[in-house]
Amino acid sequence: MTDRPMIRLEHFYPCAPSAVWRALTDPELHARWWAAGDVKAVVGHRFHLDMGPWGKQPCEVVAVEHERLLKYRFATTSLDTIITWQLAREGSGTRLTLTHEGFDVDSPMGRQALEGMGRGWPGILVKLGTVLGEPPRSDAPAP
Amino acid sequence: MPEVDVFSALANPVRRSILMQLRKGPRAVNDLARRFDVGRPAVSEHLQVLRKARLVREEPRGRERYYHLNPRPLSEVEAWLGAFTQYWKQRLVALEDVLEKEKERSK
Repeated sequence: MTDRPMIRLEHFYPCAPSAVWRALTDPELHARWWAAGDVKAVVGHRFHLDMGPWGKQPCEVVAVEHERLLKYRFATTSLDTIITWQLAREGSGTRLTLTHEGFDVDSPMGRQALEGMGRGWPGILVKLGTVLGEPPRSDAPAP
Repeated sequence: MPEVDVFSALANPVRRSILMQLRKGPRAVNDLARRFDVGRPAVSEHLQVLRKARLVREEPRGRERYYHLNPRPLSEVEAWLGAFTQYWKQRLVALEDVLEKEKERSK
């Protein structure tokens, strides 16, 4: 058990860090694989990500290293967690590491999960799926 | 079903810290109380919440009562986190599709 749970995932992409960086920081591309929003690689920049049924979630950029690292607070008024994207060149491709941390079961989102407990586990997992937003279609229109 | 669900048990920082202490082995209440500023009665109360969530079990040893960690209910938290993990895996694959299409377009 860890004191504060975190998620860390790695994925290799057969293209240069600059291309991956663009997909993380260009709103038009970003909307095609995750969520629409005015993301920008500038420390202190506040933006919103449209999480569908869960609403537009306020975010704030906390660290930027061009084509290497992008870190922002995610859903500052509810889940309030930190998402970090790290890019490392690997051969002709890029290894992308995602860290999602700072989960607090005492946050409104944690409490929401807690309320779901009364209705049993399958309920919670379905609910989580919907609050996090349906996967955007790859042909979804740009915002 | 436990009287207290694992999420409310873990919602308190003192209780999380007690569980971290118990990872190193069973501890007596007095021993645990010394490590926190909140006082013994408060620590006892937190231990009762953890016991009701089945995260700890009591063992009387003479006049002392020892507490053992029972990590099994934590699997529920892992399942909760698992939903997020699954979500991110899907997003990372969606990103791969977008990158591939962009590569084709720039050719």
